[in-house]
Amino acid sequence: MDNRQDTAGTSAPAAYLAGIRDVVVLELKQRLRSRGWYIMLAIWFVLTGVVTWLTWASWNASQAAQEAYGGFPTPEPSGPGSMIFEVVLAFVLLFALLVAPALSANAITGDRSGGTLAILQVTLLEPGQILWGKFFAAWLAALAFLVASAPFLVIGVALGGMTPGHVLVALLMLAVEVGIVCALGVGISALAGRPLFAIVVTYLTVAGLVFGTLISFGLGTGLTQGTVMASNPQYRQYAPLESGPFGPAYTCSGPLREQPALRTERVAWLLGMNPFVVVADAIPYRDRTSQAGFASIGAIEGISQAARQAMAGPDGTVPCANGVVQPTYLGQKSPLWPVGLGLQLALSALLMRLGWRALRTPARKLARGVRIA
Amino acid sequence: MAMISEVPGHPAGPESAGGISARGVSRSFGAVRAVEHMDFHAPAGKVTALIGPNGAGKTTLLLMLASLLAPDEGTISVGGLDPRHDRAEVRKHLGWMPDTLGVWESLTAREILTQMARFYRLPAQGLGGRVSNMLERVRLAGLADQSARVLSRGQQQRLSLARALIHDPSVLLLDEPASGLDPGSRVELRMMLRQLAAEGKAVVVSSHVLSELDEIADGAVFVNKGRTVRQQTTAEAAAAGRRYAVSASDPAALAAKLTELGLVFRRQEGRRPAVTLMLNNDGDAERLLRDLVLAGVGITSFAPATGALEETYMNLEGELQ
Repeated sequence: MDNRQDTAGTSAPAAYLAGIRDVVVLELKQRLRSRGWYIMLAIWFVLTGVVTWLTWASWNASQAAQEAYGGFPTPEPSGPGSMIFEVVLAFVLLFALLVAPALSANAITGDRSGGTLAILQVTLLEPGQILWGKFFAAWLAALAFLVASAPFLVIGVALGGMTPGHVLVALLMLAVEVGIVCALGVGISALAGRPLFAIVVTYLTVAGLVFGTLISFGLGTGLTQGTVMASNPQYRQYAPLESGPFGPAYTCSGPLREQPALRTERVAWLLGMNPFVVVADAIPYRDRTSQAGFASIGAIEGISQAARQAMAGPDGTVPCANGVVQPTYLGQKSPLWPVGLGLQLALSALLMRLGWRALRTPARKLARGVRIA
Repeated sequence: MAMISEVPGHPAGPESAGGISARGVSRSFGAVRAVEHMDFHAPAGKVTALIGPNGAGKTTLLLMLASLLAPDEGTISVGGLDPRHDRAEVRKHLGWMPDTLGVWESLTAREILTQMARFYRLPAQGLGGRVSNMLERVRLAGLADQSARVLSRGQQQRLSLARALIHDPSVLLLDEPASGLDPGSRVELRMMLRQLAAEGKAVVVSSHVLSELDEIADGAVFVNKGRTVRQQTTAEAAAAGRRYAVSASDPAALAAKLTELGLVFRRQEGRRPAVTLMLNNDGDAERLLRDLVLAGVGITSFAPATGALEETYMNLEGELQ
């Protein structure tokens, strides 16, 4: 009886990791043998391709139209690469947020209703090994979707304007965001009694991160009435399309006076929890403080800028706050994404921890309606 | 209610190293008290039947014995160890086959057993041979590389048994193992369980199909409404008397002879008319049959009407109402 267990010679952490690996293998074998996963992957690939092509085509069409009718100078000197990259990135993130709950939220409730969870629990596996194994399997399955969309992000680089660094950071952040959603899904799955309930709650949680953060930031801003000391800005002549340096169009004069302002920096962390903000803000954009032309800021970079303005608050955005000329473009000095990512990680860690408690055996308390086997 | 008697004939009590026992365990789910102060002991080397009607608490007790569910009160001991403190050690000794057949449908039988062996941290070398032997033992070798989805219910049941046995546990807990099996597979299961007990394992079988338990169980624990009602060995159950059914080519002559012998009997109106009567032991049955044959009554059948355990079960049902 004693000589059979393979614990001699392997350290405890190695044995723990081996158990996680075994659960991952079991999960992936099952996932890779289901046709649905491949069909979803194929649809994903085609959709991303279509979006990339449409973006490229519409950029070409608008270029042609501008050349034919307008006397405007080309607003995008960097080519279609940046635009394709941003549209594809936003699209991939959106669909990753939609796919990840489907891949993760059934991980444990599905086993529970199929009667196979207790089979795992009765072995030498620790609850943590089951939970981590399920999480990594779900994450790997979701990462396959990112890999499928990577060629289109690379096209963004190939068509010019983007550096490989952009693509790498973007893919890395997408992977992290997908991992967070998978952790939320697996944690909720361990807590829920029924598969449908776990999936719905996970989708609602993701919706909370995407839309709920925007709504609560918007409503929360109303509660942040405060003041800021600012002097009078003196604007120069209005020249919207003037290709001057990317700087302020005013000078500051007069005494500092207290003005009402919204202290958005107090609720900016809510905005930071938005997955789009985290990804957009983490990408290292080129420093545009000295660049000409405002229009070349894309949607994703715009999200990053808006988030940073919210975080800077009136002290950083109100013209002539504290008598200082404010830069229109906020540099990379004050990122918001670490705060947001930290909060997201804390949320998923909390749910995983609660899920772990629910998987412990011998089970003491069972949630209503949960059967062990 | 306290346990009526310890199973006699086993000098080693529940505190001995072998076997599995529960003392005064209770468990409730919300307001439902599934198990109340239940006592249970299954000695090593014996097949112990856990008998009771649906909803009596059999599965809850087995889940507690399998270390999946913690009792609210009472203690459980597996080979002298408490699952609450020595979970890993206890689980090496426990094999559990649930009543729900959870199988990973897309995996093959061989892969399922290999995965289970890994989860029990069995050494990698010799694993393939061990899995193949186990597949042979439950007669699934021919289907070893088919996905479990295509297996019939009986085959999945056998796979589930193999899954519980892959780490060679010393205590085997089987929850309704025979449900859904055809008669041939039941006979096979019976032989296999006898063999496992002969190897020195404590085998616990829960069922409400009593006729087959008669053939395999050495002892039985009767439970009802969450309580242990009686513990007895099959031998004791047989000694308590058994109802026999007798039919003859001439029922009138049979009735006359039985009346002459002063025996109380009941007419059984069935497809084949017969009489049933209580006999205390095998010797009584032997004498009665001889008397009837010598008296010239044409006996066409003479057999126990119910199994020994069924007799106890039915009597308990009567007592409890």
